[in-house]
Amino acid sequence: MEKYIRPGVKTTPFCPGCGHGILMNAILRAIDESKMDMKKMLFVSGIGCAAWIPSPHFNGDTLHTLHGRALAFATGAKLYNPDLCVMVISGDGDLSSIGGNHLIHAARRDIDFKVICANNLIYGMTGGQVASTTPKGSKTTTTVEGSPYRPFDLCKLVEAAGATYVARYAVTQPVALINSIKKALLHKGFSFIEVLSPCPTQFGRRNLLDRPEEMIQDLIRRCILQEEVRGLSEEEMAERIITGEFLTCQRSYRCV
Amino acid sequence: MPAIIQVRLSGFGGQGIVLAGILLGEAGVIEGKYVAGSNSYGAQARGSNCKSEIVFSDGPIDFPHLTKADILLAMSQGAYNLYCEDVKEGSGLILFDQGQVMPREGLHLIEIGVPATEYALKRLKNRQVANIVLLGAFIEITKIVSRKAMEKAIRVHVAERFRSLNLKALQIGIELGRRVHG
Amino acid sequence: MRSTGLKTTFPKGLHYLSGNEAAAEGAIAAGCRFYAGYPITPSSEIMERMALRLSELRGVFIQMEDEISSICAVIGASWAGAKAMTATSGPGFSLMQESIGYAAFTETPCVIIDVQRAGPCTGQATKVGSGDIMQARWGSHGDYQVIALSPWSVQEMYDLTLRAFNLSERYRVPAMVMADEAVGHLRETIRIPEKIEIWDRKKEKGGAPFGTDEEDGVPPMPAFGEGERLLVTGSTHDAFGFRRTDDPEAHAKLVERINQKILKSTRVIVETEDYFLEDSDTALIAYGFTARTSLYVVKRLRKEGARVGLLRLKTLWPFPEEAVAELGRRVKRIFVPEMNQGQVAGEVKKYARCDVISLGQTNGEVIQPGTILEALTKI
Ligand SMILES: Cc1ncc(C[n+]2csc(CCOP(=O)(O)OP(=O)(O)O)c2C)c(N)n1
Ligand code: SF4
Ligand SMILES: [Mg+2]
Repeated sequence: MEKYIRPGVKTTPFCPGCGHGILMNAILRAIDESKMDMKKMLFVSGIGCAAWIPSPHFNGDTLHTLHGRALAFATGAKLYNPDLCVMVISGDGDLSSIGGNHLIHAARRDIDFKVICANNLIYGMTGGQVASTTPKGSKTTTTVEGSPYRPFDLCKLVEAAGATYVARYAVTQPVALINSIKKALLHKGFSFIEVLSPCPTQFGRRNLLDRPEEMIQDLIRRCILQEEVRGLSEEEMAERIITGEFLTCQRSYRCV
Repeated sequence: MPAIIQVRLSGFGGQGIVLAGILLGEAGVIEGKYVAGSNSYGAQARGSNCKSEIVFSDGPIDFPHLTKADILLAMSQGAYNLYCEDVKEGSGLILFDQGQVMPREGLHLIEIGVPATEYALKRLKNRQVANIVLLGAFIEITKIVSRKAMEKAIRVHVAERFRSLNLKALQIGIELGRRVHG
Repeated sequence: MRSTGLKTTFPKGLHYLSGNEAAAEGAIAAGCRFYAGYPITPSSEIMERMALRLSELRGVFIQMEDEISSICAVIGASWAGAKAMTATSGPGFSLMQESIGYAAFTETPCVIIDVQRAGPCTGQATKVGSGDIMQARWGSHGDYQVIALSPWSVQEMYDLTLRAFNLSERYRVPAMVMADEAVGHLRETIRIPEKIEIWDRKKEKGGAPFGTDEEDGVPPMPAFGEGERLLVTGSTHDAFGFRRTDDPEAHAKLVERINQKILKSTRVIVETEDYFLEDSDTALIAYGFTARTSLYVVKRLRKEGARVGLLRLKTLWPFPEEAVAELGRRVKRIFVPEMNQGQVAGEVKKYARCDVISLGQTNGEVIQPGTILEALTKI
């Protein structure tokens, strides 16, 4: 792992039980197993806890940008130097709320990015405010009676916008997650992996999941592979999160 | 010839006033003159009155906009009415598209009618090049730039497929100029 | 736009171009090979010309989804090694401000052309103004410096865009060309020079990209993909880019350096021009298109024997304090005509110890010679 961690980095900044650390691990494993050259990798992130996954930890080029703008910065770098393998790692709030417009446009352009959206259903860094991904009814510091609005289905959103590789996994599905990241690394085009990553500090404790283990267990209980959905009743599906690879195709037959 | 000559081309949007201005300016530059040009753009260049103003000088131009026209070219009645009084008295010159514009009596300057649209239609079956016909007459009458320079300007700014049409229009304009002036 | 048929920079010699076209050619001559932008009147011709020229020259052009992403893409491309720029007008310039602060703090060379129109807000989109001068200096939060130049002719749209690139590369700072609609849409004779000077950012293998002991305060800047494993962040950082968000000393040091590297070099950056000032008791200070009007007025009054002159500001930021202070010691009064409500007049008042009279005009029109003449003949 030393090969992948920037010299001088000793600890990660995440809270105990934060899913972002597990995700960080999964990304580096996928990079290692894919034998990527870190010198040709550029990691771009926005602002938020998730944006710290690559910066400063990853031992490649890292560009820690502004809140919401990671994909816009990445677009300039990738277009000017197409040899760079550009991975964008950022939070749900960063990529889909303040940066939502850049997200759909980058997907539309089908630029060869490997986007990893660390979705903790909340604004972690700023203290647990509602996000565009927060489930309806969840309590946050800005939805004291529970969020009245529906969240985005990020995978459907980017698929509709033109992404060519789309998947969702939780950090509780490490093997599938690593395999998915490896696929994204090989894919030529806009790849998007939504990774459910628990935030015990800002989400769990306000939503009856006081301890980090409870959040992990909750995710294990709720995540279901898309292949397993058939035959389940509506009741059994309630609260379930469907995971899996939703789309994998090449631009030749997606672009109009 | 005074050191500075100020020319205003005018008409309504779609008559090619802006292009005519660019050609005139480009021809001036080709002849080594100092030129400054500005024109209507955006919504103005599309509808209603449209103008293009060119300042010619032998030296660097301080204020590059037109202060008072020495010469007005008017391709529409609206533009003529709007600008005919903003031409220098005595030495001023107005060229108007005869048939499109009814000139006013009593302006103390020279007014010359050039049937530009009529000839563009009659000879080339294309009213779109009336601007170039008028331009041809204008350079023939004033010698403000040479025919050679104007032809070169047309080659720089007009797409190849319209080039010969525009050069023909220029020729017609020059002949008209010779006729109405000579 | 019609193809120029050129696979090279624009040919030397005399041409008839609009200011916006000339700015694009100046950028190309400077080595700009990346453009990202979003359409806005009255700057769009720059973008259209860049789209054409970068396709002819095999550079990179992209129309982004807004101005925020445009400037972000420019910064990203700059770190990938490009000389990169964008152009916009008031509303877009407002949207770019956060990222301009990012470029200043991460010391990213980039050029922004603002073809100013009549604000505030959507204002008069096709009309002229110069109301963004203070925004250029103070538009993003925190203390930082930028370089802003003010072209008064089509020639200078070319020359100063080229210069903006050079200064931006040399000092690793966002450089702005604060043009206005009147200059952007003016067509004039322009001479493409025989020889031009080109600056490129310093590079140094293994060097600290965000700290230096060099006199000029400008660290070397490698690019992504060169194996330097760069660490770039808009948070406070040390010489190698590590975040230092709790360290007062690190913050003070970085903010100080990014300000001082520009302020220390004002002698190089700041350019002004004097006209008839030797014996003047009254002076005009002007910039951009308004300086043309001002010179015209000065020459007319001189013919009548008035002792009046003009100080033209080619650089707006850093502000030409010394030239203004010096002028203030020599003349009795200074008039500042400008197409805003006295933005530069306020700066002049800070440095000139004489009467300073603002001749601000905000009606979407250029200031006419008669307007300045009238104000001057009142005294
Ligand atoms: C323009 C701007 N607005 C607001 C903020 C404050 N801010 C910082 S991080 C953040 C939310 C981050 O949420 P997310 O992207 O989901 O990352 P997480 O911390 O949850 O991993 C916000 C609102 C900011 N930095 N910049
Ligand atoms: S606040 Fe949440 S997302 Fe941020 S580090 Fe802590 S647990 Fe992780
Ligand atoms: Mg989040």
